[in-house]
Amino acid sequence: MTELHTVGTNPPWEGLAGSERYAACMIAARDGDKRALDVLIAELTPLVWHVARGTGLDHGTAEDVVQSVWLALLRHLERLSEPRALAGWLITTTRREANRVRQRMAAQTELLPEYAEQLPSGDPLPETLMLRGERDDKLWAAFRKLPERCQMLLRLTVLAGRAEYREVAAALGMPHGSIGPTRGRCLKSLRGLYEDGDGAR
Amino acid sequence: MDPAEQQYWLDQVAYLVDELDPVPAGLVERAQFAVAIEDIDAEVELEAALWLDQRSLVGVRGGGPGTITFFVGDLTVMVNVTRTGECHRIDGWLVPAGEHGVEVRVADHETSSTTADEGGRFVLTEVPRGTTQILIRMNGGRPRTVVTPTVVL
Repeated sequence: MTELHTVGTNPPWEGLAGSERYAACMIAARDGDKRALDVLIAELTPLVWHVARGTGLDHGTAEDVVQSVWLALLRHLERLSEPRALAGWLITTTRREANRVRQRMAAQTELLPEYAEQLPSGDPLPETLMLRGERDDKLWAAFRKLPERCQMLLRLTVLAGRAEYREVAAALGMPHGSIGPTRGRCLKSLRGLYEDGDGAR
Repeated sequence: MDPAEQQYWLDQVAYLVDELDPVPAGLVERAQFAVAIEDIDAEVELEAALWLDQRSLVGVRGGGPGTITFFVGDLTVMVNVTRTGECHRIDGWLVPAGEHGVEVRVADHETSSTTADEGGRFVLTEVPRGTTQILIRMNGGRPRTVVTPTVVL
């Protein structure tokens, strides 16, 4: 979908990992290298996606927010003073964008009441999830009953535990390999909700 | 909870992240297309619009015709998409009205562009189908460009 740029040298981010790699991409993107932005989008969209979903947005809105966040990065390429802090910036921007979306949706629905009529009343949003069986349903249902703060924290804990998102741990002040008391409580709640199962609260 | 049990539940969350709620297929490519906008002027504000009412969009996202609305700030854009053979006809209406530039970008195709009339109406015919993004280049007052998220039309 993107143009093929043939440059004589290897891209400056080649062979780098984590925040070094993202910083190299940011610098190249500022210089107009479109491949650099594509690399960032390919490698960091999972982070943006899970933060957006962690705020409780439905599937379709989360997709739009992911795109808004990348457009915001395009706007801020010149202004982002610390390219190494990209993961932290993405997390903050995604949360802010998700909140804005919610407010704008609510305001717009008030302005155009005919749209409100089309909305299903209080039904959970149809989720296009990859649920494969009863156990998956149960796990998903339990997870969605957690407070949003827990859902976000647990999603980010999983990502931060992976090498490519090591800087997420740093951005959130999570020592590597540590679960911490808050995460422990969230996991315990998840177990409790799962064991209650079958829609019991 | 002992560490082994914590790890078990953390693994469950990892399974959920990777298998139950993965990044939707094609989202990376759509986001890459969304930012590959030519003629971005650093002096012109770029605003990302939102599709209104996600749920009625399911049909449109699935490739069928229909009416979609997007908005940003005070601007609302209504777009009616009609299938014409292998292409689409797009009828749009900007509120508030203004003779703004309208561009429809479709992946792997030339961009179609037009200007809305003083009533805010615009029509584009023979728009190819595919990953689509609409740009409104607003003149007058504070110059700004409104871009929509991409959708597959």
